[in-house]
Amino acid sequence: MRRRGSFIQWPWRSRATIAREVDDELTFHLEMRVAELVAAGADLATARTQATREFGDIEFTRSYCRRLDAESDRSTRVAEALDEWRRDFRYAFRALRQRPAFAAICILTLAIAIGANTAVFSVARAVLLAPLPYGNADALVRIYDGSTTIKDETNPFSPANYADYVAQVHSLTLAAMSGFTSTFVPPNGDAEILSGLNVTTDMFDVLGVRPILGRVFTPDEDRTGRDDKTLLSYPLWRQVFGGDSSIVGRRVMINGVSTEVIGVMPPGFSFGWNEELWTPLSISDLTTDVVRARRQHYIHVIGRLSPGATFESARTELTTIAQRLERQYPEANKGRTVTVMTLRDSVSGRLRTPLLLLQGAALMVLLIACANLTNLTLSRGIARRREMAMRAALGAGRSRLVRQLLSESVVVAVIGGTCGAAIAMIATRMLLALNASALPTMFSVSIDGRVLGFSLLLSAGSGIVFGLLPALDAARVDLNESLKSGGRGMSGTRGGARTRRTLVIAQIGLAVMLLVGAGLLVRSFHAITATRLGYDPEHVLTAQIRASGPRYDTAGVLNRFYDDVLDQIKASPGVVAAGATNYLPTQGRVGTSLRIVGKSIDETNLPDIGYTSIRDDYLAAMRIPLRAGRAYDRSDLPHGAKTVLLNETAAKHFFPNGDAIGQRIIIGPNANGTPMTIVGIVGDVRTEGLDVLPRPTLVANHRQESWEHSVSLAIRVTGDPHAFVPTLRRIVKTEDPAVGLREIVPLDDVIASSLAPRRLSLTLASSFAAIALLLAVIGIYGVLSYAVETRNREIGVRVALGASARSVLLLVMRQGAGWAIAGLAVGVTGAIGVGRLLAGMLYGIGAIDPTTYLVVAVGLLAVVTIACLVPARRAMRVDPMTTMRAD
Amino acid sequence: MPRTPAELLQGTVDILILRALAGESMHGYAISRWLDARSDGVLTVDGAALYQALHRLAKKKWVASEWGLSENNRKAKFYNITAAGRTQLRAETGVWQEYAAAVSKVLKPV
Repeated sequence: MRRRGSFIQWPWRSRATIAREVDDELTFHLEMRVAELVAAGADLATARTQATREFGDIEFTRSYCRRLDAESDRSTRVAEALDEWRRDFRYAFRALRQRPAFAAICILTLAIAIGANTAVFSVARAVLLAPLPYGNADALVRIYDGSTTIKDETNPFSPANYADYVAQVHSLTLAAMSGFTSTFVPPNGDAEILSGLNVTTDMFDVLGVRPILGRVFTPDEDRTGRDDKTLLSYPLWRQVFGGDSSIVGRRVMINGVSTEVIGVMPPGFSFGWNEELWTPLSISDLTTDVVRARRQHYIHVIGRLSPGATFESARTELTTIAQRLERQYPEANKGRTVTVMTLRDSVSGRLRTPLLLLQGAALMVLLIACANLTNLTLSRGIARRREMAMRAALGAGRSRLVRQLLSESVVVAVIGGTCGAAIAMIATRMLLALNASALPTMFSVSIDGRVLGFSLLLSAGSGIVFGLLPALDAARVDLNESLKSGGRGMSGTRGGARTRRTLVIAQIGLAVMLLVGAGLLVRSFHAITATRLGYDPEHVLTAQIRASGPRYDTAGVLNRFYDDVLDQIKASPGVVAAGATNYLPTQGRVGTSLRIVGKSIDETNLPDIGYTSIRDDYLAAMRIPLRAGRAYDRSDLPHGAKTVLLNETAAKHFFPNGDAIGQRIIIGPNANGTPMTIVGIVGDVRTEGLDVLPRPTLVANHRQESWEHSVSLAIRVTGDPHAFVPTLRRIVKTEDPAVGLREIVPLDDVIASSLAPRRLSLTLASSFAAIALLLAVIGIYGVLSYAVETRNREIGVRVALGASARSVLLLVMRQGAGWAIAGLAVGVTGAIGVGRLLAGMLYGIGAIDPTTYLVVAVGLLAVVTIACLVPARRAMRVDPMTTMRAD
Repeated sequence: MPRTPAELLQGTVDILILRALAGESMHGYAISRWLDARSDGVLTVDGAALYQALHRLAKKKWVASEWGLSENNRKAKFYNITAAGRTQLRAETGVWQEYAAAVSKVLKPV
């Protein structure tokens, strides 16, 4: 009988207990020996000495035994814990197999909720957390020309200012770049138009990036004569040269100039400009024209913090330099300062808020799912009372039971999460394929180990979240009562009912918040797409074309080429009108400064005006209306008197008296530039983006301003724009095979791709809101059904006492409606906060848009009413005889 | 398996203890008495070695222990052999007998 009791507790001894027990054991041994020696006739003192001597090293033995015992206790404890978990999980699996419907509902719900979270997290991680493709990217900053009046303006630098910063700054190493478009002709290949970047030769050192093939620029390769070098992007190298490593040293034609390929950059390296080429940029060449060099802003600057410098110290130093430059060159730098941000903020800053909001929305969906599962498990826990009571009677403690039930929910959650991760993999790929231009190319989204780890953690966490309450509830068993009543007739505790009600209200509240958020985005999207664009994007084919190289150095040749191409296009069957422009709508804005001839003007504060140029029948092709005066025609000769058109906003802004036509203006940094006569006023066009209001803009004549070699064609056709593509290619190829075309897309698609980021967040937000609504409705339905079931007897009594079917229906409906209204109140309060967070993403509506709120409220109440009708009708059919007899 | 002389010695004490416990459960002092009597006083294991071995065996789960009362009514820790201990005892006994036979064969007078 010595076996029982102490042995079971043995692995849980404390350190002190272990020490005492070892002492006791050794003392016992010594005393036995002493007693034996005394019995044999020795005196006590001698016996003690002898016993101790015989024993050997007692101190060492003592500490040795204590250490061993502590170790073995620990390993026993671990082994037992593992064993217990294994048993719990095995039991959990068995329990779930016995209730496949319950398990399936839980797994499906969680799969959707965790799938949503995983998908958003995979994007958020790639954009906000994954390392940028540069060495030690934390020390990299972007520096912009800022404004002292407008916060966080991010304009490019002027070359002359840039040179001054480089000469004066200590806390940073600076490098610069500017974008260009190039006609690229590989050996024995077709001409192609590519984006490229001119970079200062130290750029790659500043970024800490090495090429995978060849070398980067040497410091003197920005000098004329040595600057015929280029680096290729990895994709370009793979596509055009098939990954041939002997490419280094070979020559390609870039804008008509033979250029040596000196290296290939690693895959994924990019500044996010879709650039395929890097060529040297010489700042000293750009600063020869002193006036232009300080007034024109097109230099993009990157800096690496010097050792010891901090972001703040660098900002302070740069600001000081900016103030000095403002004093030194007021005519160019008045009101200018610097804006400094980390490189990460500059590439992903504008995506942060939408991504965090989407992640928040996904978490809300998960919370709603957890609330549903809590309620479901709570109801099931009541059905399992008897099982729990039985287990408790067999000796399982409360913590044991809680753990067991928790393992069930964790098992369900992890299975659900695994399915969710699989859903996320497919969904992410699909969504990004549908919205290809939503993310900068430098971010590669993938579901990797870390994302899966996140999803697993989230799953286990939700298992605990939705399982804990029901587990605690179910483990609170009253043995006698449960076993006696056999689990029947127990409606759960009062607290249980309150919990369920609270959860339903919270669920509805969360769903309302999501619905309002998604509703605001939908309304904004509609407002954007419904804006009067100022042009008609249907049936228009656009294509970028670039005639460059020594052959096109004179305006005459260039004009003849574009005139010939456009003439042939217009002569083709199915073409209504054709023209060209330097920037298509949504592709951005170029600004220049404006002087009105005959008006005195503050030279240090020249007004800014947008600059576009067009040629031929561009206005007709785009259906941009002429408001006054005339459009360009071929009487506006390339070298004749310069003519110009203004948009309505510019005409109103600069000539409030309506006398714009006939006035003369001078644009650009040079006060002595050639004046241009305003000959007409055209309708406003949303050039910068659908959600940006038109600003004052002038429309120059590209025949007279042909310094821009690259233009976009706009061709209005009668049928499907795609059908015209082969004709267009043939016309250009016959005219000059060395001229490339790219981005041959209908104008509709150009606009659609400018909306891609917005559409992506919209799609996700509305799907989340729809899932949330569905879950909340299922939740309210489940809880109401359960309530009807437990109130069966009460309803039976009411009916027996003469309550009409109608009043029973109302009784149940009133309960459901009460929850819905409470949830709506909670949700609307939260939604006001959500609206505030969304403010930056809204267009055309306020954050508290009454229509959205009204639609959500009415819609929710309608859906909830339908969900409540089912249990309510069931309550109506309660037969008093059956329910009363059941007990 | 190759062993150092110290390990060999420890192993010897281990197997002797396991053998002592094969019959009945005993406290440490009883084990030392049993070994003394059984080997006619030849194999005397001192207390230090005995208790170190017992705790080592307990950690390996070859023996289990529990507190009980000794023959003179004192609290004493009793050890008994576990199933794993028996298996170990059988295996080690075989090895020992082979070893001992080999040694005596070698030492047989010429």
